[in-house]
Amino acid sequence: MEKQALQQASIELAAISHRFEPAGDWVIKGLSSTISQHEFVAVVGPSGCGKSTLLRMIAGLLSPADGAVEVYGHAVTAPRDDVGIVFQKPTLLPWLTVLDNVTFPLKHKYGRVSKAESEQASVLLKRAGLDGVAQRYPHQLSGGMQQRVGIVRAMLLNPDILLMDEPFSALDALTRERIGFDLLDLWQQQPKTVVFITHSISEAVLLADRVVVMSARPSSVVEDIVIDLPRPRSQQTLQHPDFAALTARVRTHIYAQVSAD
Amino acid sequence: MKTLLSRLWILLFWLALVAVWEISCRVWAVPEFILPMPSAIWQAFLDVEFNRWMAHLWATLRVALSGFFISLAISLPLAIVMLRSATIKKLLYPMLVVIQATPVVAVAPLIIVLVGTEDPSRILITCLITFFPMVVSTITGMSATPDELIELSRSLQAPRYRETWQIRIPYAMGHIFSGLRVAITLAVIGAVVAEFVAAEEGLGYFIQFSTSFFKIPQAFAGLIFLACVSLLLFKSVQWVQQLWFPWSLNNNE
Ligand SMILES: Nc1ncnc2c1ncn2[C@@H]1O[C@H](COP(=O)(O)OP(=O)(O)OP(=O)(O)O)[C@@H](O)[C@H]1O
Ligand SMILES: [Mg+2]
Repeated sequence: MEKQALQQASIELAAISHRFEPAGDWVIKGLSSTISQHEFVAVVGPSGCGKSTLLRMIAGLLSPADGAVEVYGHAVTAPRDDVGIVFQKPTLLPWLTVLDNVTFPLKHKYGRVSKAESEQASVLLKRAGLDGVAQRYPHQLSGGMQQRVGIVRAMLLNPDILLMDEPFSALDALTRERIGFDLLDLWQQQPKTVVFITHSISEAVLLADRVVVMSARPSSVVEDIVIDLPRPRSQQTLQHPDFAALTARVRTHIYAQVSAD
Repeated sequence: MKTLLSRLWILLFWLALVAVWEISCRVWAVPEFILPMPSAIWQAFLDVEFNRWMAHLWATLRVALSGFFISLAISLPLAIVMLRSATIKKLLYPMLVVIQATPVVAVAPLIIVLVGTEDPSRILITCLITFFPMVVSTITGMSATPDELIELSRSLQAPRYRETWQIRIPYAMGHIFSGLRVAITLAVIGAVVAEFVAAEEGLGYFIQFSTSFFKIPQAFAGLIFLACVSLLLFKSVQWVQQLWFPWSLNNNE
């Protein structure tokens, strides 16, 4: 089933270049990549290389200065309904409860939230271990909890394509692993294309079908590593004989970038 | 939260201050027209009938609050429009600054001549003085909305008015209330200035005629009463913020 799904391209990045000022330095230069439908792709790269920028271009929040972004064969010119984003910062609204924050996208987009949608939000919160804090306000939550609320919020709309910008960065290692596996569970139940930015190499290898390594600025793809570890992934995956070799490979490429800086 | 003990200390401080004032006036026999004693002020306060106090209070409050709320009703939409359109902002902002920079005291007589000696002219004067802090704080607050929240809105392709109502304005509440706290005290000033120019009642009018009849303790009584009213209004704005917009307290500022 998976092999068949992999045929169709979901996101197509064709020689994308971007700079923020007309004559400024290129942040991204000639980056190309294809992401298949329902593929889980992790993106790693040195800090400031343009990962968030890339994500915003896929999301339709930013147009590349050069090149084209296509989703399902259509050029991306504006944000799409079938794309969900988990931002690098939790971006919760301080005046809304956790539950209202989760349903905020519906309220904001359509002006109302149905009872069924509200219940669905409660279910998702419960699954993320946040049912106890549904009526709390964001400032009463830890940074990690806030991030989880941000993830649940993106999940509620059940997007076809999920863009995640370092979604677990504020979590401790243990929770991070658990939430990672939760995400994989969800992904297997409701197949989606996931673009997952992370700073953790082992996390990238543990979760993804493919790890894309970006170079330092002006950045492009320096290495595209297929992670053919068996699924479902679990704690055992960490002991898999290929796991160490794969992480080492990713690490070598990243360090090459950092030292070239 | 202030503890009971710290409140007690504050009370004691004020009592001590009044006592020092009273004693100094008696010891050095300060003439009443320079600085009346607290006891004389208190006596003057009691000498004026309660109903007359209320009539003056109502006259001033009526103007100050009408001016304040009319100003609020105009400044919020105006701030939104100015935030939306750079052209309108460029057009209106200098005008607002000019209005703000012109001393209200200087324009007040003109307004009275043009609009008349009734409430509307006094309310207009109050509006002129409270308007600027409200518009500026609203614009500042709405443009201080973090980019991430605006991107969230854009990623949902929500209509612009919802971005304004559901994100920018709630976010700006902290700033808006800073503006409102300034504006409410200015509203009282505006009302009093207007009464100085033309009025038959009101606390400002009361202070002015007391002074012109050399009833200095009575003028002081009016002044202190006015200060208390101002303080109470200021506190009310704070209470409204604490009650209905608590998030705006720990958010910005
Ligand atoms: N709006 C902007 N205007 C100008 N420069 C920007 C803007 N946004 C990002 N940049 C620059 O583009 C580069 C890439 O930024 P980006 O946020 O995409 O990096 P990143 O790879 O996500 O970094 P990190 O891993 O630290 O999150 C940075 O050098 C940054 O300074
Ligand atoms: Mg980033």
